[in-house]
Amino acid sequence: MMVDALVEALGRIVGPRWVRHRRAELKTYTMDGLPTRESYPGLVVMPGTAAEVREILRLLHLTDVPFVARGAGTGLSGGAVADGEAVLVALTRMNRILRVDPGRRRAVVEPGVVNARLSEAVAPLGLYYVPDPSSQAACTVGGNVAENAGGPHCLKYGVTTNHIAQLEVVLPDGSAVTLGSPHGEPWGPDLVGLFVGSEGMFGIATAITVRLEPMPPSVRTMLADFPTVRAASEAVSSVIATGIVPAAMEMMDRACVAAVEASIYAAGYPTDAAAVLLVELDGQPDAVDAEARIVEAILLERGAGAVRSASSPADRARLWQGRKKAFGAMGRIAPDLAVQDAVVPRSALPDIMDRIAEIRDHHRLSISNVFHAGDGNLHPNISFDRRDPEVAHRVHVACTEIMAACVAAGGSITGEHGVGSDKLDYMPWIFDAETLAAMRAVRRVFDPAERANPGKVVPIHTCREWRAARGHSLVGGVR
Amino acid sequence: MSATADYSSLDPCVHCGFCLPACPTYLATGDEADSPRGRIVLMRALERGELGPDDEALAQHLDACLGCLGCEPACPSGVGYGKGIQTAREQLFAARRLSPMGSVVLGVFRHEWLWRPLFTLSRVFRATGIPKLLSGRGRLGFAMGMLAATVTGSRARSSSRARLSSRAQGGNLPGNGSTPARTRSLAALGMTTASGMPDPPAPPSPSPTVALFRGCVMDTLFRHVHDATRRTLEANGYTVVEADGQACCGALHEHAGDRAAAEALARVNVAALADSAEYVVVNSAGCGALLKGYGRLLETEAAVALAGKVRDVSELLAERGPRPGGSLPLDVAYDAPCHLQHAQRVHAAPLTVLGAIPSLRLRVLTSSDKCCGSAGIYSLVRPAMARAVLDLKIESFAAADPMPGVVATGNPGCLMQIGGGVRAAGLPIRLAHPVELLDESYRVGGVYESP
Repeated sequence: MMVDALVEALGRIVGPRWVRHRRAELKTYTMDGLPTRESYPGLVVMPGTAAEVREILRLLHLTDVPFVARGAGTGLSGGAVADGEAVLVALTRMNRILRVDPGRRRAVVEPGVVNARLSEAVAPLGLYYVPDPSSQAACTVGGNVAENAGGPHCLKYGVTTNHIAQLEVVLPDGSAVTLGSPHGEPWGPDLVGLFVGSEGMFGIATAITVRLEPMPPSVRTMLADFPTVRAASEAVSSVIATGIVPAAMEMMDRACVAAVEASIYAAGYPTDAAAVLLVELDGQPDAVDAEARIVEAILLERGAGAVRSASSPADRARLWQGRKKAFGAMGRIAPDLAVQDAVVPRSALPDIMDRIAEIRDHHRLSISNVFHAGDGNLHPNISFDRRDPEVAHRVHVACTEIMAACVAAGGSITGEHGVGSDKLDYMPWIFDAETLAAMRAVRRVFDPAERANPGKVVPIHTCREWRAARGHSLVGGVR
Repeated sequence: MSATADYSSLDPCVHCGFCLPACPTYLATGDEADSPRGRIVLMRALERGELGPDDEALAQHLDACLGCLGCEPACPSGVGYGKGIQTAREQLFAARRLSPMGSVVLGVFRHEWLWRPLFTLSRVFRATGIPKLLSGRGRLGFAMGMLAATVTGSRARSSSRARLSSRAQGGNLPGNGSTPARTRSLAALGMTTASGMPDPPAPPSPSPTVALFRGCVMDTLFRHVHDATRRTLEANGYTVVEADGQACCGALHEHAGDRAAAEALARVNVAALADSAEYVVVNSAGCGALLKGYGRLLETEAAVALAGKVRDVSELLAERGPRPGGSLPLDVAYDAPCHLQHAQRVHAAPLTVLGAIPSLRLRVLTSSDKCCGSAGIYSLVRPAMARAVLDLKIESFAAADPMPGVVATGNPGCLMQIGGGVRAAGLPIRLAHPVELLDESYRVGGVYESP
């Protein structure tokens, strides 16, 4: 890459102060929320408007330079990291809420709007934006679109794709297109559905029309403690089996609770329990009351020591803050953290939790579990110190074994963090060569040269290599 | 190169990014290099020798940190960012010269024979009314606005040595302050004292003695705040005494990494204040934060003992109620100085002080816990970033409904920076230290009249 010429040309588009090229500056962009994947970008450009994004992508198209889009860099799969050949397009300056239409319950936002800021901004109208990834205080709506982000409340309300109506997109060649419709269901192929979760492979969304929902009239947040992780896991399945769909159902194990309770976000979780469950019900007051009675009875029957309800909105916020900041609190255990993200069928939860404990003990590691139990989305977090290479190796092996166990249980390699670069090696475990080839073909519809977030998500190997990788993967792990 | 630099307080950082929205410079630029997480990456690179302290870009982005510590209470892992940035600043200071502007400013604050005439002249200039006339948007206009904002907003007569008989306030009892209605509204704001910080012990005597830390800017441009401090403390049963031989607190030097200069000034103050009174009262949040940290800075018994006696004026007043004054029907937005809320972890006391003023309508805006961009000499050496940070706050004043008539904050730098900002924006907002408002309320309510 002709760095100097590119710096100058990009500077003409966005102004020189919004192009970063000095090594120290690039250093701060070498990682996203997953510090184990590190790489210097060629340079960083920070557009302020959609017009600048179009010009930047046009320039990169003409000069055949790859690019990676980035929001707040809170992603957990190494997806928003670029290598030295690529330009990192940081969208944090594009943080305006362009329009709010309370009647139709829509908002149009730029990609750099922080998730939680959007809900705060529409709260006076009695509305909120539902998808609430745990990083919502920092992460951007653009990043949520790229990752099809989930969050505790996607159990009842669905993930990001269920809340996006329309997208203004700049394609990798610099042309602008509109996907979807602001009014409701689109006709023809669901291109919004295709774009959401494409992890930056299809272009950059510059204006996002989101659905807003009215705040539920009644909310009940319950905290239950369990003597074993298995009992808590079984309680989750029992609740779902009744047909009740809680707004959220979250589990934290003892190690996770200890880290949270030591932090500024201490929520009063019982530190002596093997697992705590956070269950939230919302809707009409009578229905919430009736469901709460049933859920409480099930939790107690399944072995909960106690079930308590949040006493006030402040108490409820505190219970949620503890859960949402749990991942950030892991630095209290050890300086490094391997965050995993996998899904298993809910019925497999009790067994997979036992299996994770076995893997932990076998490799003598510290694993804390904090996850969306209601939809079987696990986040085993391995705390370690990567300055010890032997430990780092054991962590890698354990991660692979956990993932293999989840796949063997009928699950998937990612629930909400995306594939990025971190899960690339696992892709052939769950998709055959033909499916991967089809994914690549779709990618090339949007981006024939594969310059957008190159090397991520869909492994680029020959079909034969895929088959070989797949052949031994589940037995011996990757590599 | 970094053999002695200890960055272990940064070890718990897992790079989650939850600190980003708490950082005023990140909010202003959206640049990872201007975020706490980005700066931690830079400090770790400095620690490992991957980047040197002479690296221009590294220095630029570490220098751009306001030192507000807004990131610390946002961090779930309890990363000691403040310790890290202080270590980095000392390392950078040792490796390069300060900017000419920085050297001049710090040099002035080291010597009373330099700062006192300079600020006294500024007061004379302020009295001509010219700064007020010239205040506005440009660099000069902003500076003039900052100076004009130092003038007292209250009509209380200024007499720096005015004393009130503490006998006259003999009837004051602790805890007779806030009205129940005000207490409720404060509770609704969710303001509580910081957990983990020991509550100040109850005053050992009915009329504890308090030595006033005079400082430099406070003792010249903000002498009216000293007067208000003295009057309101005495009205609440304290005996305020003078302690001679004080110097500038040294906070500006410490923030710039000039530890030697900070230590020299600290030693002067420890000697002057050590045996002066039961408490040392400070009405400048930035000075108070360092005075409370003298023990850590000097690591002497005397310094530790002195640091334990230091209180912000709002803490002493809140401890006694404070007694209510007369009505001031004002819309007041409280703005929390970073060095009070983050460095000293004093959250509720200033609100309690303002809560003792009947009819005062107290508001806490969403921007009130964000840095104003003053940050010691930051606004002088990095005016562009300081203004970008300030603009976010000024916009929130302009958007507030109703717009506050007064912004109250307990730090001279914030009073000047925000004062310059509201003048540049043409907003009809006056700046006041919380004790100035309490003082005004006491005057209106006849608290100072002899029984």
